[in-house]
Amino acid sequence: MTKVTPIVHIVDDDESFRSALGELLSACGYRISLYETAKKLLETPLTGSPACILLDVQMAGLNGLQLQDQLSALGCRLPIIFISAYGDIPTTVQTIKAGAEDFLTKPVTRERLVEVLERALARHEAIQAHDDEIATLQSLFGQLTPREREVFALLVRGKPHKQIAFELGISDRTVKLHRHQLVQKLKVRSLAELAVIAERLGLLPERKSDWRETQASR
Amino acid sequence: MFVRAILEMRWTRAALACVAALILVTTGASAAEPRRVLLIHAFGHAYSPWSDMAGSFRADLVKKSGEPIDLYEVSLDTARIQNPREEAPFVEYIRTLFLGRKLDLIVPVGAPAAFFVQRHRSELFPATPMMVVGADQRRIPKASLSENDTAVLLDLDLPAYLRNILRVLPQTTEVAIVVGNSPVERYWTSQFVREVVPTADPVKISFLNDLTFDEMLKRAAAMPPHSAILWFLLSEDAAGVPYSEDRALDTMSKAASVPVFGMGDYQLGRGIIGGPLMQTQALGQQAADVALRILKGEKPSALNPPYVVFGAPIYDWRELRRWGISETRLSSDSIVQFREPGVWRQYRWQIIAIAGILLAQAAVITGLFLERRRRQVAELELRHRLMEVIHLNRTAVAGALSASVAHELNQPLGAIQSYAEAALLYLNADPPNVTRAQQILANILRDDQRASKIITHLRGLLKKRVESEMQEFDFNDVISDTVQIVGPEALKKGVDLSVHNANGALPVRGDRIQLQQVIMNLAMNGIDAMQGCGPGQGKMSIKTSLTEDSAVEVSVADSGSGIPPDRLNKIFDPFYTTKGHGTGLGLSIARTIVETNGGRIWAENRPGGGAMFCFTLPVSKAITA
Repeated sequence: MTKVTPIVHIVDDDESFRSALGELLSACGYRISLYETAKKLLETPLTGSPACILLDVQMAGLNGLQLQDQLSALGCRLPIIFISAYGDIPTTVQTIKAGAEDFLTKPVTRERLVEVLERALARHEAIQAHDDEIATLQSLFGQLTPREREVFALLVRGKPHKQIAFELGISDRTVKLHRHQLVQKLKVRSLAELAVIAERLGLLPERKSDWRETQASR
Repeated sequence: MFVRAILEMRWTRAALACVAALILVTTGASAAEPRRVLLIHAFGHAYSPWSDMAGSFRADLVKKSGEPIDLYEVSLDTARIQNPREEAPFVEYIRTLFLGRKLDLIVPVGAPAAFFVQRHRSELFPATPMMVVGADQRRIPKASLSENDTAVLLDLDLPAYLRNILRVLPQTTEVAIVVGNSPVERYWTSQFVREVVPTADPVKISFLNDLTFDEMLKRAAAMPPHSAILWFLLSEDAAGVPYSEDRALDTMSKAASVPVFGMGDYQLGRGIIGGPLMQTQALGQQAADVALRILKGEKPSALNPPYVVFGAPIYDWRELRRWGISETRLSSDSIVQFREPGVWRQYRWQIIAIAGILLAQAAVITGLFLERRRRQVAELELRHRLMEVIHLNRTAVAGALSASVAHELNQPLGAIQSYAEAALLYLNADPPNVTRAQQILANILRDDQRASKIITHLRGLLKKRVESEMQEFDFNDVISDTVQIVGPEALKKGVDLSVHNANGALPVRGDRIQLQQVIMNLAMNGIDAMQGCGPGQGKMSIKTSLTEDSAVEVSVADSGSGIPPDRLNKIFDPFYTTKGHGTGLGLSIARTIVETNGGRIWAENRPGGGAMFCFTLPVSKAITA
């Protein structure tokens, strides 16, 4: 876990609740950034990590759910924790479905708030690490020639060299050469590791995909 | 000395009738000859009581006689004249009157007339019978009557007059006796002095015979309390002025400050109280009977008619009333005359009718009063019921808003919780950050006040009241209060609520909570109406303004589907609802409240779509003035 102090972006149109939450979180040792409206948050570049967003569901103008949509559209992957004074079931379901990290109901205790925040931040960190790995793999994968990618696709599907040579209309030997190149470029030692990479990059269409990875590959 | 004589002859109408009848019926010459009777007055024929006695006698005689009576009446003023030597011409006159005519009976009326006839009996037809009428037995002793004479006499019981006064008015201390100054009256004065005064003590008796009538009236008017006047006889006062027919009695009775008593029945009805009285009627009748017997040939001296005494006491009811004398004071054989028929007897049907009308009126009035009372009670009941319904509606609205209200409460409560925990953390830190904690506590206080304001507001809405509470306020404040409660609900339902308050104060007098309820009802209606709208499409606008005719106008407009034109008039009716969960009372109650506060409410569709509810309220003069 990183020693960098996480930033919590608090979006709430209620001034006193916003400042109270800020006061509590800064007392807890977080860095905080307060936003009166969702619009203001969107106007601010959200740099720095780890971070998360505490968002009030009911706000005049752009509400929490709409903000969440717009953040996703902007490619912001910061975890969003919703806070609502209602806590009714329809709102909860709607927000969770839309990808909310968690859902809190006012008034919220410090323990619960910190617990949810920490969990979100941890998960965000894990996702961040995973994303970094994928990015690395993608850059490695990008170095492959088109022919090498075709060989890779057939190899991870478990096709034997002869069938690959037949399907691609090349010689068995050429297949072996491409395979060697692949292994070199992708820095793997075995065919099994190739399959793992393919799986991570989502290159196995028949496989059930994790929703987060699907989103990432979109 | 000048002597004035009034000579008069009279044929009575009754006598003429009798004569005519007898002429028709009988044929004999002797039967056609009437019986001639001569009445002699000493004072003049119109002086009471002699005129009254004569009248009674005359009437009775004519009535009872089977033969025609030819009545002659001669009136002399000799009673007021002292010197009998001057009487010769009167005697001559009477003798001349009956020259060649047979006179059947001479009737002197009263003592003076009797004395006149007795003085001249030898010259005045000594063969003709004489009957003295109406003199007192004291004046005409039996011995003074000749063989051919008789007398129907009175016996005046003078002490009885005083006894009667004391019986009727026991507290009487003084009695003034009205008596004139002619010879006959002076005689009676002396009789009173002799018969009454010695036994009168302690009652003081005074005589007015030496006064003129004017002086008598003054005396009568100035009589002290517990005194009385006895009107005995007034033919001539001290100044020699004659008073006929007792007209003076009427004047005296009116002027007197004390009750007036009288001596004869002829005075009854002229202002005397009454009592045992000389009976002129009875005297006249008895005299007529005696006269008829004489005319039939009976010997006068043998007749010996009894004295005419007082009859049963007779009283004048009006005088008894006038002087407040109770009838219980009168002896049991008393006769009360002139009794006015009681109001009841006189106006019986009118009284019954009026009483009936009054009763009916009273009944109607009572009925109306009861009805009014019942209506008041019913109106009060109705008002209480209305207040209850209004309150129920308010609770229902508050209930519908409960989620929003909870949200509003949760804001400060959530803030307080967070602040408190932050403060704890600062205080537990090493070293404690006290400055920061103090700031936070100030914030906690502020949020606590905010929460308590919401609760106070809510309590105001939910409080049950029996009567409206009228107060003055700025209507813009009511809008702010309402938005505070309805705003979160609009937000929750995705409705964009905007408020446009008029510039400047909108002074209104009314029930603040109820008027807030009106806006809440209208706003909730609007929010419900926009539930079908897409996200971001629901827009509600609350606007206040001051109209040109100085009324506060409030409009609540929404962007919903509007109201079907054919229902614009119906939506304020009770139990009219388009909502699945509505009671249909919200708008009806809104109208009731607005109208109770002197305003008007209506609905219209906006040209751009959606409905607009407006209401006006009169501007309070108390503030603007």
